[in-house]
Amino acid sequence: MSRRDGVLLLATGLVLGLSLVQGSAAALDLTSQTLTPYRSCTLAGTPAATTVVTDATVKEASAGTNFGTATTDVISSATVADQRTYVRFDLTACSPAIPASAIVRLATLRLYLTGLPAVCRTLDVFRVTAAWTEAGVTWTNQPFGTILNTPASGTRSTAVSVGTPVGCTNRVAGYVTGGDVTTDVAAFVAGSAPNFGWMIRDDVEASATTRTTTFSAKNLGTIARVPELVVTYVVVP
Amino acid sequence: MSLARRAVPPIGLVLGGVLIASAASLGLSSDTLGAGSTATPRCTSASLSILQNLSAGTVISVTVATLPATCGGGTLQVAVNNGIATGSGSAVIPAGGGAVTVTLGSAPARRVTDQVDLVVVGP
Repeated sequence: MSRRDGVLLLATGLVLGLSLVQGSAAALDLTSQTLTPYRSCTLAGTPAATTVVTDATVKEASAGTNFGTATTDVISSATVADQRTYVRFDLTACSPAIPASAIVRLATLRLYLTGLPAVCRTLDVFRVTAAWTEAGVTWTNQPFGTILNTPASGTRSTAVSVGTPVGCTNRVAGYVTGGDVTTDVAAFVAGSAPNFGWMIRDDVEASATTRTTTFSAKNLGTIARVPELVVTYVVVP
Repeated sequence: MSLARRAVPPIGLVLGGVLIASAASLGLSSDTLGAGSTATPRCTSASLSILQNLSAGTVISVTVATLPATCGGGTLQVAVNNGIATGSGSAVIPAGGGAVTVTLGSAPARRVTDQVDLVVVGP
């Protein structure tokens, strides 16, 4: 190697060295950049034949009949004609899978409202603690039993206000707001509670005046109205 | 020896010097890079609401709500992946936070499950 070559290479090396050092410094600047990542998984009841989402209404007046293929999910308070809805979302269908260590920031149960009562009604959402199937659940064999107003309202996961009068939270057709089931989904994800979904009933069953709320069921097959569960979470490194 | 062959050893030495310099600047005791970690600051840890907006069975935009003012001025980047197709877009978060709707460059079909990744860069 000639001296000239050496000088040239040394100079190049200095330039490269400075450049690389500066490059490293620039890359390290990322540590001072504010980055806020979130991820969400949405489970939606489409197509109608999917088993990822299951829903069924149970009817006191047809206690032994299964309505798992109905196109509506109904909650009703009425004398000897109460109706409840069961719904479940298979979180293992999320791709990529939600890690058990993930922090669930928000989980929202979204049902599309199609029929509202003429007065404000509170719908209670309870975490189900026993297995049921879409094709098998009936009023008689439902996980929560047939005793009205059981479980108690105080044990609900969340509640949704529906009705046409001013003052109700959900007054028109569309996806309901207020279905915050974050605590339940966090337990499902962490494995501290089995995922049997939710049961929704009127806060006060056996109303003397029939009060009915209707939602679109998975089997309606209308993609813009299917039951949904939106889970927003943060992956912990 | 050709010029190319002669050039190899000095560059190696120079690169070696650079690595030493980098290690020194990082304060590392060895030449292993990436051994450390640091907390990346975030503008929020709030419960952001992420909703997909549909048109004709496809996801055309994503609305991110309940963004706090601390994220105002940051850039919200969103990507939707339904396992087959993806769509992405970005938008600037207003100074006061709130809700931002990001229109996707392409609209993936709505499927039984999909994933939305979002990141707020800055402010």
